[in-house]
Amino acid sequence: MTTRVADRRPLTLRVVMSSFLVLWLIVAAFPFLWTLWGSFKVEGDFFSKADWLNALTGPLTVSETGSSFTGSGYYGAWVQEEFWRAAMNSLIVVVCVVCISLTFGTLGGYALSRSPYRYAFWLLLVSLVFRAMPPITLVSGYLLPFFEWNLWGHLPTAIIVLVAINQPFTLWMLTSFFRNIPKDLDESAMMDGCSRFQAFRHVIIPVMWPGVITTGLFSFLLAYNDFAVTAMLLSKENQTMIPKIASFLGTTQTKGNVMFAVSSVISVTAPLFLLVMFFQRQIVSGLTAGAVKG
Amino acid sequence: MADIQLKGLSKRWGSFVGVKAMDLHIADGEFLVLLGPSGCGKTTTMRMIAGLEDASEGDILIGGTKVNGLEPKDRDIAMVFQSYGLYPTMSVYENIRFPLKVRKIPQAEHHERVMRAATTVELTEFLDRKPAALSGGQRQRVALARAIVRKPKVFLMDEPLSNLDAKLRVSTRAQIKNLHHELKTTTIYVTHDQIEAMTLADRVVVMSKGVVQQVGTPLEIYDRPANTFVAGFIGNPAMNLLRGEIRGGVFEGRNVRIPGFAGAADGPVHLGFRAEDAAVAQAGEVAAPIYSLELLGDASMATVQAGESLVAIKAPKDFQGRIGEPLAARIPASVCHLFDASSGERLPRSAS
Repeated sequence: MTTRVADRRPLTLRVVMSSFLVLWLIVAAFPFLWTLWGSFKVEGDFFSKADWLNALTGPLTVSETGSSFTGSGYYGAWVQEEFWRAAMNSLIVVVCVVCISLTFGTLGGYALSRSPYRYAFWLLLVSLVFRAMPPITLVSGYLLPFFEWNLWGHLPTAIIVLVAINQPFTLWMLTSFFRNIPKDLDESAMMDGCSRFQAFRHVIIPVMWPGVITTGLFSFLLAYNDFAVTAMLLSKENQTMIPKIASFLGTTQTKGNVMFAVSSVISVTAPLFLLVMFFQRQIVSGLTAGAVKG
Repeated sequence: MADIQLKGLSKRWGSFVGVKAMDLHIADGEFLVLLGPSGCGKTTTMRMIAGLEDASEGDILIGGTKVNGLEPKDRDIAMVFQSYGLYPTMSVYENIRFPLKVRKIPQAEHHERVMRAATTVELTEFLDRKPAALSGGQRQRVALARAIVRKPKVFLMDEPLSNLDAKLRVSTRAQIKNLHHELKTTTIYVTHDQIEAMTLADRVVVMSKGVVQQVGTPLEIYDRPANTFVAGFIGNPAMNLLRGEIRGGVFEGRNVRIPGFAGAADGPVHLGFRAEDAAVAQAGEVAAPIYSLELLGDASMATVQAGESLVAIKAPKDFQGRIGEPLAARIPASVCHLFDASSGERLPRSAS
């Protein structure tokens, strides 16, 4: 066995590198860990004015609930305030947005990547302009017609707007992924007896999975994290999770409400961790791409 | 199996002409090689036959049927690509089987046909591997197996050997030749390598700038090039081309004087001869100081300046000479070819 590159570095460098990494990890993870820990305390501890250490030790939590951890924040948010409804709404919105954007994105991206015409370039350029616009500018334009046509407040409306905002980006990303796939691959498939669409489905898409998953994840994040569109376009009962959290924070008069927000934040963040971990390999190969040389 | 006819086939992109009014008949079972430097339109011609590129003008007939408007899949053609075009997510077995699958050939036949194709190209040990785990030569053979698995009317091969190393190229070349002998399928083969063209072809089509320069058997093309382009492209080294002038049946140029062209019109011409047809002698038609000398192994190649260009002359390997020393060579008029000085076309020889 030859020594690995890392082992040949001088000790001091390795120590500096490791300690920097550890420091960075703490800085990056601290806010989340702090919130996670605090979400199992009562408001008086987490937002203690007396001593910030109370958030860690939680004397009030012990005196109020009898144990050092409490699930009351979660119970209040999910059951009392019906956060589960918002979670369901989020799920519907996110699944629809991802599916619709990916369908149009893969078909359109493939067509644009294989198009010999100049207009393909201009289409992509125009879509970039729309991508660069802040989402809120679109919302303000939509708001009035949506009210007049009685479309305001429903989930499908929000889905359509989110897809519209998301589509330029998915189109861009998928087009560049498709461009990395050699044309010879479609052409051999067509010589082997496929129509253009069969070549796309049987040959190109299997090679494209990392790209589709990476793009899907980004559109998922956009829909999942969106505040501007969902907050403006959805009625209270159709709210998704992010505006729901905002509404918890907006009504701090009631004691414990802030803790609902804190526990919801944890509920919103946890699935993201799982998702990224699960698709980690595809995302990495999708982001590094070029792994399709035949 | 089928013959192929090209009638006035052209391809233009805007004002750029890729292929210009090409007429060609390829007989059933023939091995035809399209040969030319890159950008000469040979690949474009093949892609038009395949249906991957639309013809701007003209007709393509396969087995007597016009196929211009047909999709590639409906033309019953198999193609081997320069980059192989293997499907990276499928195993070798699945790659070879793919044409059978998409063409809805009965499942029961698949295994036998895949195995037969794999045996033909000696791939049976690698059937479970992914293309990424194969060497270049093996990938090439997978592409070949995928082409032969479903007995198409026509094979198209687009520089299939250019990504292989020299040694492998020779053995794969022999394999392709043998495969064609066995299957007797009409084959069109595109290459820029004249040795491939010479060894494989029944007939060679030499192209330049989208125009067919000459069509003929390898020997015809080697022995009777139709113009200076073909003469300068075929052979290693290519034919020597000397500028000079005919006067009274004698060709004269710098350091060169060849009599014996009785009947040839007076005026400027290009004269061509092959290095191996010249013989080093005490005195001869060419006399000039040696410009360079290369030992080839079985012979030496001496270069001299004559007729405003460098002229190669094949000498025996024990030829003793030094750069700068005078060299004379016999070049009888019978081994020479005359080409028109302006058009480059071959001039008919009334005499000899």
